[in-house]
Amino acid sequence: MESMEIDKKSFWYSEWSFPILVGLMSAGVFAGTHMYYQYGVGAFNEVAIVAMLKAGMDGGSYGAAAAFGASFLFARILEGSLVGILDLGGSILTGVGIGIPAIMLSVGWKAPITNFSFAIATGLVLGIAIGGIITLVRKYTINQSQASFGADVMMGAGNSSGRFLGPLILISAATASIPIGIGSIIGAVIFYLWKKPIAGGAILGAMVLGAFFPISLK
Amino acid sequence: MTFVLILLKSILIGGLVGFAAGMGAARMFNAPNVQALGAFRTLGEMNACEGDPASHFSFGLGFFFNAWASTVGAGAFTQDITHRVIPNWAASALLVRNKKIEETMHDPKKMAFTSALIGIVVVVFLNTTASAIPKSLQITAVKVLVPAAELLINIVMPIIFWLAAIDAGKRSGLWATVFGGLSAMIMGNAVPGVVLGILIGKGVDELGWIRLTKIMFTVIIVLFVLSAFFRGFDVQMIESFKLPVPNWLDSLHGLFNVK
Repeated sequence: MESMEIDKKSFWYSEWSFPILVGLMSAGVFAGTHMYYQYGVGAFNEVAIVAMLKAGMDGGSYGAAAAFGASFLFARILEGSLVGILDLGGSILTGVGIGIPAIMLSVGWKAPITNFSFAIATGLVLGIAIGGIITLVRKYTINQSQASFGADVMMGAGNSSGRFLGPLILISAATASIPIGIGSIIGAVIFYLWKKPIAGGAILGAMVLGAFFPISLK
Repeated sequence: MTFVLILLKSILIGGLVGFAAGMGAARMFNAPNVQALGAFRTLGEMNACEGDPASHFSFGLGFFFNAWASTVGAGAFTQDITHRVIPNWAASALLVRNKKIEETMHDPKKMAFTSALIGIVVVVFLNTTASAIPKSLQITAVKVLVPAAELLINIVMPIIFWLAAIDAGKRSGLWATVFGGLSAMIMGNAVPGVVLGILIGKGVDELGWIRLTKIMFTVIIVLFVLSAFFRGFDVQMIESFKLPVPNWLDSLHGLFNVK
């Protein structure tokens, strides 16, 4: 990180552009929920979480989706401003994409979800607000001092954790089935000799053999 | 007519989400100096591909099949589209032309525009294809990638962060252990707690217990208390110790149950 020259004033790295960044993401994700509400396809979340929203849409209660989404959003805003990475899944995908629509729908306010342009605008405003809160919190915490807060420690750990993925994929392929395990070994070996990270080869090898010798999900 | 409408909307949504996902992911490599939007797992996995275009592509591809199946089956994209597919494919596309990750994958501008294009293609594709994907490919991807990713996120990453915290000094080791353990219980994953432990530990090492670090410490405690409350951890804990749950706590929970 210290080797990089970053211009903190430019749009791409600055603090003030962060709310815009979150706004764009939220606009897209909120509109994705609109797609799901209107056409039954396009929600940016896991099946289990979308199912909570679906329960409300089918005449049940929006309570689960609202409480789950809102609490996630809140926790992630606090965490995000402290650690420097706002968790996309918890804050935007679940909070803005599921929790806030559920709250709106539970009080009968359907317009932001049924109208596409309204959905984009709602998401944008929500995102800018969330990004703004985080920028504000940072201004009074992290940015007030020159301390690194252990950033180097975290970056080092983040970098070294990545190396584990290749062997992990091999182990999990080996337990999936014998052909998939063999395919993943061959793929990993080819990638290793080719001086590439073995994770990619392990996945491709597993998928090729898995296509010929299918396994069941159970 | 509906098809055209879905197509046009998907282009806009894909562009917005892709742009933000790419820019947010690239900013992660400069966090916490620059506020980023992403996830620790995305950071770990993108580092895992070590700047190799083929690895980035195949990693994204595995999760893409899974997402496609989930979309066809239930209309849900899965979080992998924004966490894994778009950032990794954008990185792959950029790295094919330039191997230097500092000039490609870590550059928010290049990542934003490349990801916007990829986001458009991916979202349009997912929203418009009704046909199913080869079942065997999808199952293989699920059976191989999901357990591996879960091991990485739930076991390997917490341990590496934890050991790094312990090696970084007594204070960060202490708070990482306290918060890491609590966060494993309350949030289901130790990484956020360990990271907060490093943050407060190194913060106090460098600055001492000044107003700033005290505020941060308070915020961390509030974060844990609120997470515990909203996830029902408080009631579970009281019940696990075989104690009666006070009435006021029960009614407080009832208050937040949105109907």
